[in-house]
Amino acid sequence: MLTVPSVTPDAISALSSREMRRAVMRRWLFRFSVLIGWAAFIGVWYFFSRLVFNPQQLPEPHVVAGESWTLITERDFRTNMQASLVRVLGGFLLAIVISCGLGWLIAYNAWWRTLLRTIVQLVVSTPIVALAILTLVVFGVSSLGPVITTAVVATPYIMMNVAQGLTGVDRRLIVMSESFGRTRSQIIAGVLLPSSLISVLAGARLAFAVAWRMELLTEIFAASEGVGFQIRRSFESYDVRGMIAWTVLFIAVMLIFENLVFRQIERRLQGRTA
Amino acid sequence: MATVLIENLTKIYPPTITYPHRVQALGGVNMSVTGNVFVAVLGPSGSGKTTLLNIVAGVETPTSGSVRAVHNGVPAQVGYVFQEPRLLPWRTVLNNMLYVQDRKSDRSRREAEFYLTMVGLNEVAHLYPSQLSAGMQQRVGIARAFLVNPDLLLMDEPFSHMDALTGRSLREYLQRVWLHTRKTALFVTHDVSEAVELADRILMLRPGGVVFDDIPIDLPRPRNPDDPAVRSVERDVLRRFDSMEAAVRFGAHAQ
Repeated sequence: MLTVPSVTPDAISALSSREMRRAVMRRWLFRFSVLIGWAAFIGVWYFFSRLVFNPQQLPEPHVVAGESWTLITERDFRTNMQASLVRVLGGFLLAIVISCGLGWLIAYNAWWRTLLRTIVQLVVSTPIVALAILTLVVFGVSSLGPVITTAVVATPYIMMNVAQGLTGVDRRLIVMSESFGRTRSQIIAGVLLPSSLISVLAGARLAFAVAWRMELLTEIFAASEGVGFQIRRSFESYDVRGMIAWTVLFIAVMLIFENLVFRQIERRLQGRTA
Repeated sequence: MATVLIENLTKIYPPTITYPHRVQALGGVNMSVTGNVFVAVLGPSGSGKTTLLNIVAGVETPTSGSVRAVHNGVPAQVGYVFQEPRLLPWRTVLNNMLYVQDRKSDRSRREAEFYLTMVGLNEVAHLYPSQLSAGMQQRVGIARAFLVNPDLLLMDEPFSHMDALTGRSLREYLQRVWLHTRKTALFVTHDVSEAVELADRILMLRPGGVVFDDIPIDLPRPRNPDDPAVRSVERDVLRRFDSMEAAVRFGAHAQ
């Protein structure tokens, strides 16, 4: 015979506290597994630097960490990282401005859609090394070259996502706005922009990562300062420690941007539209 | 108090890739609505009810004929309640209300809160639509339509996606707010009992978009669907609805 369990406030409270404990446990297990992942990565690094290569070819993690700290405390670090950051952000902001206009054209005009899709395919298929060398040829060793090239490489990713965001807007919300007499600019600001924001953000994240890499590569060929330039200089003087340390710092700054800027914005947006 | 004059209104949708035939949604509708009345447009699926409402709201254009919705000689301000709530998911309930307001002042905020209180939602004004139930979202939709102080209120089967209990409670909320404002209302539905419970007048549309019948409902308000008088009128309207369906089925012409 089936018995129906009695549901009392105490039982509900006990159930919810058990659920709460499980949720906390799951969160800690997740954090622990992330730590294990990092520990495994460092372990593999030690293994290769001690048993497969020699320390001149692949320095051990603690040596790279020490070198990174030395770089950070030096005045050069700030100057070079700042130079790279300014170029990346400059190129990235330029890409966003261009992409908003072109994305709009792709979303609402068939002729522009066909033309720009072909250009996008062309840019995406071009090897970034070729673009970096071309930058050196066209702009010489200057700050403008990396900014322009970064913008050129980042634009397709943001542009296609802007177009996708705009075409994916819920038409019913536009009809609602029109029926309440909202003007064109009110609909753009109130419906089109917010509803395409998640898609634009996804494109911007991807574009930012690509822009960083492009910037670094362009600096190797066509700059007199910046992280890419420092990596090249370390390579030329066979300073593997310095090369890896600059690379690690470059990745660290990328991760900081990804976690403190993009992920926070995404979390905020998803919380509202879930 | 708005006046809606509809003369010989037709709407024909051109063929599309997915449906390569012309579709006549409205076939010469003539009707007029004047005063602080609640008019229900009753008809089966495909009778052009939503198209009629969209044309009156100005979000669709007619193929021929004319529609005039005026208030004191100027185009009437319209408030629209849709089948689905159509709330902006990235705005809170209160900000969804304020979106349809021209001026964002303390007064408009107080008005928004007043209508949210009328539909029993003032406590959740700070929440996002995804945090509300479907019925609560539709109540926000109703409050939003009243907030613009409409001369003409358009409602397109606003309770059709709700379960019976939620629909009943929403009808009570709607009656309460409408009795407070007494705006001219055009309410589209295919539910006879809903039309009888809410309307002063029922216009019956037959498939192909032609007015088949015009039935006045003279019952005191607020109405209770379980009231014998309401049920008696409901049976009468249902009988007429059946005779319209029979007339359509056997190819008879509309009156």
